[in-house]
Amino acid sequence: MQHKDIGIYENVLEYISLEISQVLRKVPPEFKANIEEIRLRNGLPLNIYCMNSDYFVTDDGLITKNKDMGKLVTKQDIIKTFQLVSNYSVYAFEEEIKNGFITLKGGHRVGIGGKVLYRNNEVEKIKNISSLNIRIAREKIGVSNSLMKYIIEHPNTIHNTLIVSPPKCGKTTILRDMIRNLSNGLEKLNFQGLKIGVIDERSELAGMYNGVAQHDLGPRVDVLDGCNKRDGTMMLLRAMSPDVIAMDEIGNIEDVEAVHEILKAGVKIIATVHGSSIEDLKSRRSLDMLIRDKIFKRYIILDNSKGIGTIKDVIDGDTFISIKY
Amino acid sequence: MGFVKILSSLLIVFSSSLIGYYYGNRYSMRLENLSYLEQCIRILETEIVYGAVPLPEALTNVYLKGNKKVSCIFEEVKMDLTSNKDGDLFSSFHRVSSHLMEKLNFTKEDVELFLSLGRLLGSSDRTDQEKNFKLILNQIKILKDEALAQKNKNEKMYKNLGILAGIAIVIILL
Repeated sequence: MQHKDIGIYENVLEYISLEISQVLRKVPPEFKANIEEIRLRNGLPLNIYCMNSDYFVTDDGLITKNKDMGKLVTKQDIIKTFQLVSNYSVYAFEEEIKNGFITLKGGHRVGIGGKVLYRNNEVEKIKNISSLNIRIAREKIGVSNSLMKYIIEHPNTIHNTLIVSPPKCGKTTILRDMIRNLSNGLEKLNFQGLKIGVIDERSELAGMYNGVAQHDLGPRVDVLDGCNKRDGTMMLLRAMSPDVIAMDEIGNIEDVEAVHEILKAGVKIIATVHGSSIEDLKSRRSLDMLIRDKIFKRYIILDNSKGIGTIKDVIDGDTFISIKY
Repeated sequence: MGFVKILSSLLIVFSSSLIGYYYGNRYSMRLENLSYLEQCIRILETEIVYGAVPLPEALTNVYLKGNKKVSCIFEEVKMDLTSNKDGDLFSSFHRVSSHLMEKLNFTKEDVELFLSLGRLLGSSDRTDQEKNFKLILNQIKILKDEALAQKNKNEKMYKNLGILAGIAIVIILL
């Protein structure tokens, strides 16, 4: 497993400027296998995020907590890395750059910071790039296996499910693995696979690259990449006849409308949302409506008390009582 | 003896004409290659501005669609780019441009135009790329006009000079 994780890390280094990637290659293997983010900031020390903590990397590839010892990232490093990330073709990633990130082969994402220019009330481009955040995507196959028994409803359908989690607790990973399980089917639970429409607004679930999903989502999945939830819902319902629609990070009023559309069509829904508890969600008007209408039958609450993706609780949506066992 | 003289005189005239022809021909070769380069840049423009094809792929397409005599330099750039992976497009153009002057009879200005492609390609959005392409195509038109004028002026002169020099040498030797 560690060997595979190091391989993924080495692949990501191909997209980083030579000077920085040479340093990152010297990082100890136990870090290589666990690095989640590599952060390059203009004129600041090279920063990595690993095992719930952040570290700096020295010129010799050593890991330190002392920011003064970190290797300084130059503007040239950022420019070269950006060139490699965009495959020397900024023009081919215009839309992605407007959204603030580029998806790499393998489903890794590179967030972009810099000077944002507007035209006609929308982001036109980002120039003078000052920071890049390379998030390494590591598929965690099987992380949702223990959850499947809560969301499957017999015969052969699922409960509408909402995954609630603070940032960086693995909600997208859990959702992705649930999609994979639902589309593959689970013999153990006597559950056959369902057709799943995935609205991948932020290109995180499938990690599409040149029309090919970079993450394993099973055989019965149709992906709308980069599509917003309202449009995506209509498109899927009209043309793809899904049994389940999956989407990441609902929150605003339009997303709630999309959820209602899905329910009207008798299709099941599985989604994620930022938050730490149901009470926390109730404080947001749009989500409070969904909770009061008892639309979701299962709430899965995550945190990172025992590492990323810890399942804190599973709550029944009608009675609001924990059903975790 | 007379036969040998005639033969060697003919040889002298022939070889000096050949030299004249070679020098004269350089002007028309430059013009021809500039036209091919223009064609390649237009293909590249279509690939980038209308197709939004990523640069390495676009460069290969230019190689396949353009006249191979010139378009092969775009494939060379692509090979350099993918093998070096140092994130610097301009240095790939720079490395490839080093033998352009002799290979394609280009002048310094022509090579500079080729290098300016390396400075602008891929670094901005499509609207910006389109503007830059327009500028480069304008410049290449100016260079072509200049190459044509030079060709008209010099090509015939060098060719004639070759023949005449050959005859002159023969007369002196005789």
